[in-house]
Amino acid sequence: MSAPLLSVRDLSVSFRVRPRGSPPWVRTQALQAVRGVSFDLAPAETLGIVGESGSGKSTLARALIGTVRVSRGQALWRGEDLLALDPKQRRRLRRDIQMIFQNPLGALDPRMTAGEIVAEPLITHETRLPRHDVKSRVAAMLERVGLLPEHIDRYPHEFSGGQCQRIGIARALVVQPKLVICDEPVSALDVSVQAQIVNLLQDLQRDLGLSLIFISHDLSVVKHIADRIMVIYLGRVMEHGAAHDIVRVPRHPYTRALIASAPVPDPAIERGRRTTVLEGELPSPLAPPSGCVFRSRCPIARHVCADEIPAMREYDNDHLAACPYETD
Amino acid sequence: MTLLRVRDLSVTFKTGEGTVNAVNGVDLAVDAGQSVAVVGESGSGKSQIMFAIMGLLARNGRAAGSVVFDGTELLGLDESALNRIRSSQIAMIFQDPMSALNPYMRISHQMTEVLTLHKGMSRRESLAEAIRLLDAMEVPAASTRIGMYPHEFSGGMLQRVLIAMALLCRPRLLIADEPTTALDATVRGQIMRLLADVRSTFGTAVILVTHDVGVVAGNCDEMVVLYGGRVMESGPVARLFAAPLHPYTRGLLDAVPRLDRDEERLRAIPGDPLSMNLLPAGCPFAARCPRVEERCHSERPAGSLPAPDRLVACHRPLEGAP
Repeated sequence: MSAPLLSVRDLSVSFRVRPRGSPPWVRTQALQAVRGVSFDLAPAETLGIVGESGSGKSTLARALIGTVRVSRGQALWRGEDLLALDPKQRRRLRRDIQMIFQNPLGALDPRMTAGEIVAEPLITHETRLPRHDVKSRVAAMLERVGLLPEHIDRYPHEFSGGQCQRIGIARALVVQPKLVICDEPVSALDVSVQAQIVNLLQDLQRDLGLSLIFISHDLSVVKHIADRIMVIYLGRVMEHGAAHDIVRVPRHPYTRALIASAPVPDPAIERGRRTTVLEGELPSPLAPPSGCVFRSRCPIARHVCADEIPAMREYDNDHLAACPYETD
Repeated sequence: MTLLRVRDLSVTFKTGEGTVNAVNGVDLAVDAGQSVAVVGESGSGKSQIMFAIMGLLARNGRAAGSVVFDGTELLGLDESALNRIRSSQIAMIFQDPMSALNPYMRISHQMTEVLTLHKGMSRRESLAEAIRLLDAMEVPAASTRIGMYPHEFSGGMLQRVLIAMALLCRPRLLIADEPTTALDATVRGQIMRLLADVRSTFGTAVILVTHDVGVVAGNCDEMVVLYGGRVMESGPVARLFAAPLHPYTRGLLDAVPRLDRDEERLRAIPGDPLSMNLLPAGCPFAARCPRVEERCHSERPAGSLPAPDRLVACHRPLEGAP
C-alpha cells in the first residue's frame, strides 16, 4: 500500500447531552458517539463505513471535516494532523476534503441555480480564477455528472432527487478534491436511481483517482463500491477488512447478523434461507453495555464479554474483527 | 374468497397548477388471509391507492372507480359507515410510527380508545386487551410500558405498538405502508417476522406497500408493480421474480444491489421517475424503457393476461413462461 492519504488513530468523539425526554434542568451526560476508531485510507481507495442509526458513522464523517470537536485521537492528512490545525490552515485543506449529503434537495440552497451552486466553492477556493473559466469549469463539471447544459440556470426544486444528488456531486468535485466523504448519498433515492448514482460515483472515483469514504446503513450498496469496509456498532469498530472478505467470510457476529438481515430479491433463495434475526434493539448510547458493546444482542455472548473490551483479532489479508470467540 | 376488490381506481388531486393524476385505473384484489405486495418507486401512486381505500385522501383529492370490501362499496360511503369498517375491519400502519401517534397521549389512552369506541368495552377490559396484544407483539414489560408516552419508545418498538393497535379489533385486512423503511436493518427483520406471525395467528390479510423488492421476495404471495399510477404487471411473487414480463419489473429487480452476487456495475434504469403532472399519452415507462418502440409513446398498452393469474401492460413484453 502506498503512503496513506488519511490516517486515523484512536479517534473518539463525545457529546454532552440530556437523556431523551428529560427536562432542561437535568444534568447532561457524556455520550460517546465514536470510540477509538482507527483506519488508513490510501489514495484512490474507497472505504465503506457501515452501521445502523446511532452507530456514530455520521459523527465520524463530521469529525473528519471538522464540524464536530474530537475528544481524543489523531487524524493525519498526508502526515499533517488535521485536528491540530488552526482555522486558516484548515481552510486550505478543506478544499481537498469535500462532502456529499444524504438529503439531496435539503443540501442545496433553494434560491441559487444549479450553476451558482456548483460555482460557489470554486469562487471560494480559487479566488483568482477569471469569470469565464469559472463558467466553463462549472459547465464541464455538470456535464461530467450527467446533467444537460440547459440545467445550469434551473433551481433545485425543478430537479428530481437523483438530479439534485448529481448537482451535489458536481459541487463537491468542482474544486478537484482528493477525498470525498459521502454520507448516505443514495439512501433517499429510488432503487433505479440509486444504481445510477452509485455507478456515477464509481466512474468518477476511477477516472479522477479520488479517495472516497462511503457511509451507509446498507451493506449491499457499500459492498458494490468499497474496496475496504469498516463495520461499526455503537461507536466502535466491530470488523474491518477487504469488502469481499467482509461479505464472504465475516468474522464478527454483528457483521453476520447484518448480512443475514439483508433480504435477497429472489423468493427461491429467501424462503429457504435460515433467517437468524437479531433479537433486541440498539442499546442507548448513553448507557452502552460494559465490555463488548454488542454483547447484549450477540448470539454467542459469554459472561466474560461483559468484563473487558475485546481486542482486535487479526485474520489474513488485513482483516480485523473485535471478537475473540467467533469461529467458522 | 376475495376480501377486497379494487376496480379501475383513479385518484386525482386539484392543485393550483392543474389536476394531478396520481392513480390511473388500477385493479387490485386481495383474498382473505393473503399477503399482497404493492411495489413502486416514489410517485408511483402506491400510497394514494391505500389512502383512497381507507377514505383518507387529502381534501383536494378525489377517488373514482370502485373499492369493494367484503361486499360493501367503500367509495362514497358516508363517514360514520366508513368509521365502522375502518379499524374494526381494515386497519393501517404507516412508515413513520412516531408521527402516527399523538405525542401528548399515553400509549394506554391511544390504544384503549378504539376498543371503548368500537367494541363498547369498559376501561379496565380494554386496558387488559391492549396489554395482551402488546405482549403478543413482543413488547417487553407491556403492562408498565403501556403507561408511557410515544417518545419513550424506540422506532422499532413503536412500530410494534402500532401493529398491536391495528390488531385490537381483529381486522380482516391490514394495510402496511412501508412499515420497515424507517427502521434499521436488524429491526426490519423482526418486524417482517412479526407481520408474518400476525397473518398466521389471526388470519389477517396483509397489503404490504413497499419500494423494496427484497422484502417482498420472502414475505408475500402476490405482487402488483406500479409505475406512473398504473399497474405494469401483477401475479404470484415466485413466478413474477423468476420470469418478469414487463421491462420495468425486470429493471427494478436488476437494479437492486445484492450481497450474494459479485457484479462490477449495478444495472441502473436510465432516466428519472415520472413527474405526476406530466403523464405521457402512451406507456408511462416508455421514456426509460430499453424495449421501447414507436407506438409505446402514443398508444397506452392495455393489460393482457398471459396466464389466468398474471397481468402485464406492455406492447413488447419479455419472453418467458408466465
